[in-house]
Amino acid sequence: MAAKSTAIIQMHHVDKHYGELHVLQDINLDVQKGEVVVLIGPSGSGKSTLCRTINRLETIDSGEILFEGKPLPQEGKELAAYRAEIGMVFQSFNLFAHKTILDNVTLGPREVLGTPKEEAEKEAMDLLARVGVAEQAHKVPAQLSGGQQQRVAIARSLAMHPKAMLFDEPTSALDPEMINEVLEVMVGLAKEGMTMVVVTHEMNFARRVSNRVVFMADGQIMEEGAPDEFFDHPKTERAKDFLDSIRGH
Amino acid sequence: MGVGEVVAEFGGVYVSSLLSTWLMTIVCFAGGLALGVLVTIMRVSPIKPLRVVGDFYVQVFRNIPTISLLVIFVYALPYLGLLLDYRTCLIVCIILVVASFASENFMSGINAIGVGQIEAARSVGLSFSQIVRLIVIPQALRTTVLPMTNLLIATLLTTAIGSQVPLTPPELTGMVNYVNARSVAGISAFVVSAICYAGTALLLGFLGNKLDKKVRIVR
Ligand SMILES: Nc1ncnc2c1ncn2[C@@H]1O[C@H](COP(=O)(O)OP(=O)(O)OP(=O)(O)O)[C@@H](O)[C@H]1O
Ligand SMILES: [Mg+2]
Repeated sequence: MAAKSTAIIQMHHVDKHYGELHVLQDINLDVQKGEVVVLIGPSGSGKSTLCRTINRLETIDSGEILFEGKPLPQEGKELAAYRAEIGMVFQSFNLFAHKTILDNVTLGPREVLGTPKEEAEKEAMDLLARVGVAEQAHKVPAQLSGGQQQRVAIARSLAMHPKAMLFDEPTSALDPEMINEVLEVMVGLAKEGMTMVVVTHEMNFARRVSNRVVFMADGQIMEEGAPDEFFDHPKTERAKDFLDSIRGH
Repeated sequence: MGVGEVVAEFGGVYVSSLLSTWLMTIVCFAGGLALGVLVTIMRVSPIKPLRVVGDFYVQVFRNIPTISLLVIFVYALPYLGLLLDYRTCLIVCIILVVASFASENFMSGINAIGVGQIEAARSVGLSFSQIVRLIVIPQALRTTVLPMTNLLIATLLTTAIGSQVPLTPPELTGMVNYVNARSVAGISAFVVSAICYAGTALLLGFLGNKLDKKVRIVR
C-alpha cells in the first residue's frame, strides 16, 4: 500500500447518528490519489451516508475527514469552494430540469469558476461528445433517456475539473440496456487516473477497474481488499452471505 | 336606466375606472410577488429565526380578510401617527395579503423541485444565494404560472374593496355607487362593472394558460 501521505481522502474514526441509529461507526478509510474504491454492502448499511460525508452533504458527529491533508471546511464560501473540487454523481441524475443539457454543464464553470461563456460552452461540447451525448446539447433533461442523463451528469461534474469524484449507485436507476454505456464512461475515467469512490453492486466494473473493494454492513467497514480477492474469497460471513444474495443464490 | 344608457352616459368614467382597477391590480400583484419572493426566501433560508418570521407572516396575512386589514389601516394607523392616503392604504393591504398567497404558491413550486437538484447544485459548488437565484426561483416561477394566474385574478377582484374608501377616480365597484348617486341606473351599473371584471379575468386566464404552456418545465 502507498505511503499514508499520498492519501487524498482520509477518514479517521468517523461516527454519525441519525437519532438513535448509529449509521457510521468508527469509519477509517484512506483513498490514495488515482485510486478507485468501490463501496459495497446491503441496503441501509450506510454506503450513501459515507459517500455523502466526503463532500459534506452530510455532517459527521465525531472523528475527522481530511482532503489533501486539510480538514473539510465547515460551511460558507470555503465549503462551496471545496465542493467544487469534488464531483458527485447521484443515483437519480439530478440534472437541472429547467436548463438545456449544455447549460447544465456550463452552469458550474460559469457561475463558480467564472469561465467566460464561449470557453465554457466549447469545453462543455467537448465533454458531451466524450460521453456520447453531443447531439442532445440543446434538449432538456426530460427528453433524454436515463443512461443519457447520467452521462450528462458525469460531464457536468467533469466540467469543474474535480480532483476526485463520488458516485452513489450511478447505474441503479437505469434500465439494464443502459447500464453499460454509463459504466464505460466511468471505466474511461478510472483509466485516466481519476480518484473515485463508487457505491455500486456492479461486480464486473469493480473487478475491471477498482483497486479496492470496501464492504460495509450495519454502519461498519467489515472488510476490504483487492476486488478479485474480495469477490472470490470473502473473509467474513456477512460478506459471503451478501455476495450470495446479489449473485442470486 | 338600461345598460346601454349607462354606458352612453358614464362610458368615459367607466373607462377611467377600469383603467384605475387595472393599474391597481398590476401594482398590487407586482408588489405582492416581490414581497412574496422575499418572504419565501426567508422561509427556505438556513437561518431559523428568518424561517419562523416568514412562516408567521404567511399565517397572519393569509388568514385575515383583506377588508378587515383595510379597516385597521384606515382607522388604526392614524392613531399611531401614520397617515397614509386611502389609495396607499388599499394598495399596501392588498400587497400584504397577495404576498402571503404568492409565497404559498412559491413554496409548492419549490417543493416540486426536489432535494436532488439542490444537492447537485451544492455539489457543483454553488452558494446558497446562487442556488436560490439560478435554480430555485426560475423553476418555482415557471411551475407556478397557473396558480399565480389565479392569484392575479383574485387580486383583480380584491381591488373591489376599494369601493369602501373614497377614491378618485373610483375603481369598478366604487363606480356603481358613483353612477347610482348621479342617476337611477340601479342594477345596470352593477352589470357594466361585472362585465368589465369578467372580461378582464377571462383575458388573464387565457394569457396565463398560454404562458404556462410556453414555460412549463417537462419533468
Ligand atoms: N436523513 C436521514 N434521516 C434518518 N435516517 C436516515 C437518513 N438517511 C439515511 N438514514 C438511514 O441510515 C441508514 C443508512 O442509510 P444509507 O442511505 O447510507 O444506506 P445505503 O447503504 O446507502 O443503502 P441503500 O443500498 O439502500 O442505498 C438507513 O437505515 C437509512 O434508513
Ligand atoms: Mg444508498
